[in-house]
Amino acid sequence: MAGTSSNVHFHDIPDVVLATVFSLVTDTRTRNAMSLVCPKWHLLERSTRKSLTLRGNVRDLFLIPTCFRAVTDLDLSLVSPWGHPLLDSSPNPLLLAQLLRHAFPSVVSLIVYIRNPSTLHLLAPLWPGLRNIKLIRWHQRFPTLPLGTEFIALFEHCRMLSSLDISQFHCWTEDLPPAIEAYPTFAASLSQLNILKHSSAEGFKSHELLAITASCPNLRELLATCMFDHRFVGFVGDQTLLALASNCPCLSLLHLVDATSLSNFVRDPDDEGYTSEDASITHAILGDVFARLPLLEVLVLDVCHNVRDAWPALELLNSRCPRLKSLKLGQFHGIFRGIDSRPDGIALCEGLESLSIKNSADLTDTSLEAISLGCPRLSKFEVLGCKKITAQGVWKFTHVLRKTLVDVKISFCKNLNAVSSLQAMEPIRDRIERLHIDCVWDSVDNSANQTGSSTEETTLKKKNKSHDVGNDNSFSSRTWSKLHHLSLWIAVGELLTPLSMAGLDDCPSLEEIEIKIEGDCRDQRRPCIASLGLRYLAGYPSLSRMLLDCSGVIGYALTAPPGYTDLSLWERFFLNGIENLNLNELNYWPAQDMDMNQRSLFLPAAALLAQCGSLRKLFIHGTANEHFMMFLLRIPTLRDVQLREDYYSAPENDTSTEMRVESCRRFEDALNSINRHIPD
Amino acid sequence: MGYNLLEALNVRVVGSGDRYLVLAHGFGTDQSVWQRILPLFTPSFRIILYDLVCAGSVNPDHFDFTRYTTLDPYVDDLLNILQALGVERCAYVGHSVSAMIGILASIRRPQLFSKLILIGASPRFLNDEDYHGGFEEGEIEKVFSAMEANYEAWVNGFAPLAVGADVPTAVREFSRTLFNMRPDISLFVSRTVFNSDLRGVLGLVRVPCCVIQTARDVSVPASVAEYLRTHLGGRTTVEILRTEGHLPHLTAPALLAQVLRRALAR
Repeated sequence: MAGTSSNVHFHDIPDVVLATVFSLVTDTRTRNAMSLVCPKWHLLERSTRKSLTLRGNVRDLFLIPTCFRAVTDLDLSLVSPWGHPLLDSSPNPLLLAQLLRHAFPSVVSLIVYIRNPSTLHLLAPLWPGLRNIKLIRWHQRFPTLPLGTEFIALFEHCRMLSSLDISQFHCWTEDLPPAIEAYPTFAASLSQLNILKHSSAEGFKSHELLAITASCPNLRELLATCMFDHRFVGFVGDQTLLALASNCPCLSLLHLVDATSLSNFVRDPDDEGYTSEDASITHAILGDVFARLPLLEVLVLDVCHNVRDAWPALELLNSRCPRLKSLKLGQFHGIFRGIDSRPDGIALCEGLESLSIKNSADLTDTSLEAISLGCPRLSKFEVLGCKKITAQGVWKFTHVLRKTLVDVKISFCKNLNAVSSLQAMEPIRDRIERLHIDCVWDSVDNSANQTGSSTEETTLKKKNKSHDVGNDNSFSSRTWSKLHHLSLWIAVGELLTPLSMAGLDDCPSLEEIEIKIEGDCRDQRRPCIASLGLRYLAGYPSLSRMLLDCSGVIGYALTAPPGYTDLSLWERFFLNGIENLNLNELNYWPAQDMDMNQRSLFLPAAALLAQCGSLRKLFIHGTANEHFMMFLLRIPTLRDVQLREDYYSAPENDTSTEMRVESCRRFEDALNSINRHIPD
Repeated sequence: MGYNLLEALNVRVVGSGDRYLVLAHGFGTDQSVWQRILPLFTPSFRIILYDLVCAGSVNPDHFDFTRYTTLDPYVDDLLNILQALGVERCAYVGHSVSAMIGILASIRRPQLFSKLILIGASPRFLNDEDYHGGFEEGEIEKVFSAMEANYEAWVNGFAPLAVGADVPTAVREFSRTLFNMRPDISLFVSRTVFNSDLRGVLGLVRVPCCVIQTARDVSVPASVAEYLRTHLGGRTTVEILRTEGHLPHLTAPALLAQVLRRALAR
């Protein structure tokens, strides 16, 4: 080597420094590689590994290694078979629980699947110092259980808990308040509470929310699903919001989401954009609410009923919540008035870095322009279901914010199809990192333009002569150099093939793609083209991860009436060509037969997935027959496979044939057997 | 055999009542196909569910190709299960191939069965001189070539890509579930079923029977139900469901449950 090189070898670095270096490494595979270098590195790596996800089979729990004693973040929710009661497989669950404690004495954050209450009774006493816990359950709650039993076990033993996440935990809304009220000192120290309900379309009632927040005055983060429809008992309206804000003045994050917003439905594109009922929320009270939450940084109010004339409240939002960085509003109208040339309403919230506007009926291009000028720090922008904005408006928006905007989502906006959405991204094409568009290929009528500030528009047009919204036929190279995540929505029956022609042809950094397919295919004819067009994604050289979500597709599994196609054909249509992509990791949500609550892999999927030669991780969010899973063993690099029925209601073992416990065990034994030589 | 039959075939007993009821599934499905019927009967019957050895949920290693060459070993399995559970008398509901198995079982052990309910049953699928089974040789061959293509692909290490979609519509409904089983097993069992002819033994049945048929089942012509009524040895009734398809327990469970309840009451 050259004379100026130092003679310091890696091993000369003091252990303390080395330990600090190691503790900064988070990628699991890198850590695994590090631990194989030499015994000293092995020790160091183990002593600095803070987070671990257990993925073995539950019957092997007694084999847990004890070298990971430094782990503070433990995820037990993915143990195989998925959703199996954790300690039930052992004849001596108490002993097994003690073993867990011995192996992981320092756990501070825990994620665990609670199939039945006995698990929590056994686990909660193990880690009295637990600070954060996330409970998961997609199976049904035992109907005969007394209210709150599961939480009481938890609160009794883990008095230092500061964060509770039950957004993926199926229980009744009536379970939580009694438990929280029974442990007042505990409740007073709770600072983060996530009670969104992803499992079902119901929400917390007003009195439940108030009971909870009254017991937890020190909450800093609250995420909850509730009902804003005033026709429902326990709806959340002005008074509830005021009381909530009074109860928890330290809130820095508030997410209130209407129960209906979590369901999959495609809005009718022709309606005006107003719902039939208004929410019981007025701008005056909203302003008072904001006044009581001065520390607010993140606000989500996804109300599914009209909140009209919201601009005064939003102006107050800016002055009363100076730290506000992130805002999402659902069904708020009149967020910008634009009467004169001064900015008003939402355009005054200059500190915003992330903004999401959903179903705002009167949002126009002018509003967009004002927002872009008034919120110069915006880096993330989402617009859903806004019927009046056009591609020109979005283009101007991105043009003004071209220095900061890196994450954009455009969905269900009538005047913006795929091509025009992509064209509207032109000013930030080389900067944008995350993008969502809907794959709507019909041409839209762009002649109904907004009458915005026309002089500015024409000067802009002169500066960018090559840009012409709606008529851009040039195929000059359009490189999206920083785009690393792309998300697409596509109606069932449509094709992906126009995507590359639409303007997304050159994406050198695209690593992850998310495709959501939705629609009812029961009445549709069998697709005459053989495939959705996944093979055309092979044009993205770095693509390695895909999330293919067909759970919004409704069809017939075995129950198709004579003459109708069933889901196996659609499955072939969706997955055909997937072997052409060099996917490393795939998450697949099969289509569902709602009558039978069946989301299952059929023969075409097993066959097509088995041809993905480079797949290493495969997670199927549904069920599958054992012999279909066995086809997947043909993939030489396959290492991590799991069936995760994370939808409500997850099928009970007895009612669903696919992947019974024994089948799971046989498959995993085959997957992990010594005879399979995995190249890396 | 060396394996526990009750475990291997996923035998389950649920419900409360003083009478036993056996629910036996047909081809390409397994006991979960009864999931919409089950809750309607658990209050009044002790229901026995099991999977046929050829079902997708059973360990394929249990399928002995030298043993399961006719329908008789399936009958053995059923009778062994009932004996192991200590059942002395039961009602039996069988779909498709399980209907055939039920018929044979009742001939062997007439005292065991109080009633046979046969859904989508047929004593013989192939057409004969005076008999209309529903399938011509040529049609059956088309199904078999699709299955054989799958089987070949499977043997050679390719995952089978051809599915029931390529099978002609006439046999599509029937074959919809065929490909849910491992290709070697499904091919073998299909041959067994299409080669079997129970017409000769129908007269030996002494147990009262109820033949349930959908208004339009591609795999079972309407005349078959009438043939069964006239040829089965015991007191036999025929019920026609006002629905279509080969899997009424999936497509019209409420309708089927009504008919089942009536049939089980007598």
